[in-house]
Amino acid sequence: MIKIIFFIFSIFIYSNAYSESTVKAGDSLIWDSEKKTYTATGAVEFSNDTFIAYSEKMIAKYVEQGGKELFTIVELFENVRIELKDEIFQGDYAVYTRDDNTIKLTGDVSIQSPTRLLTGHELIADIDNNKRILNSANDESLVEVLLENNANN
Amino acid sequence: MSKILKENVYSILIFLLLSIQAFMYYYDNRPTSKVFSKKNISVENFSSIVLSKSGLTKIGSEKLNKIDENNFFLQGKSYLENNQYKIYGQDISINLIEDTSHSKNSVQVINSMGTLDANGFRNIDSEGKIYFDGIVIFKSHD
Repeated sequence: MIKIIFFIFSIFIYSNAYSESTVKAGDSLIWDSEKKTYTATGAVEFSNDTFIAYSEKMIAKYVEQGGKELFTIVELFENVRIELKDEIFQGDYAVYTRDDNTIKLTGDVSIQSPTRLLTGHELIADIDNNKRILNSANDESLVEVLLENNANN
Repeated sequence: MSKILKENVYSILIFLLLSIQAFMYYYDNRPTSKVFSKKNISVENFSSIVLSKSGLTKIGSEKLNKIDENNFFLQGKSYLENNQYKIYGQDISINLIEDTSHSKNSVQVINSMGTLDANGFRNIDSEGKIYFDGIVIFKSHD
């Protein structure tokens, strides 16, 4: 019985470890197997189990890990909009790093939530720790917003 | 005169038969002035293996049209498979010298990362790049 429970638990863990990502491109997509990148242009949409991102261009880098290829870094260019639960991040450029599960936005950056709107020139969103760091345009003030966990989660 | 003819009737008959046979032989074997051009060769339900930069690539189609020594057209449902990708589409053109293939029809590509659907592709094997045109959807098992 314990073995069966362990087996079912292992399958659950495995399925979560390899969750699905989707890339949609309106104009074109280039798969470069030498540089190990996917470059998408025109109304690009990238989504995984955490967030949905929209932009005009995307370059996603991948590595081979345990016989599978995984996205490690996703760069988004122009009119970047990222929807993460009830928050919307916007900026000119964004980079998502899988290893530390963070999103860094630069340019005209904003965070919009149901209760507030914050703007700046750089945003670092630490998804795992639910932390947001917003730097202002003149670099003199640092705004750190700790969000309460959503009651529904 | 008639006596001579009667005596040699068999000889004359044999001579005539031999002459007709020689005439028929000549017309059957004389060289023709027609030039037969056989540039296009078609094979149905074709599959083969070609060596490219990506390694051995298995190709197949409902109908293979050989345009020339280096260009093939895979007509109907076609595929290209190697250790990097599997391309399933239709009406795919292949150039063996340039190591390229392309199609303007809907295509599905499966690689070790996921599955991609597009409205056409250009595969430049020497550069390790595949270009997908139009609306492209790529689902990875990340």
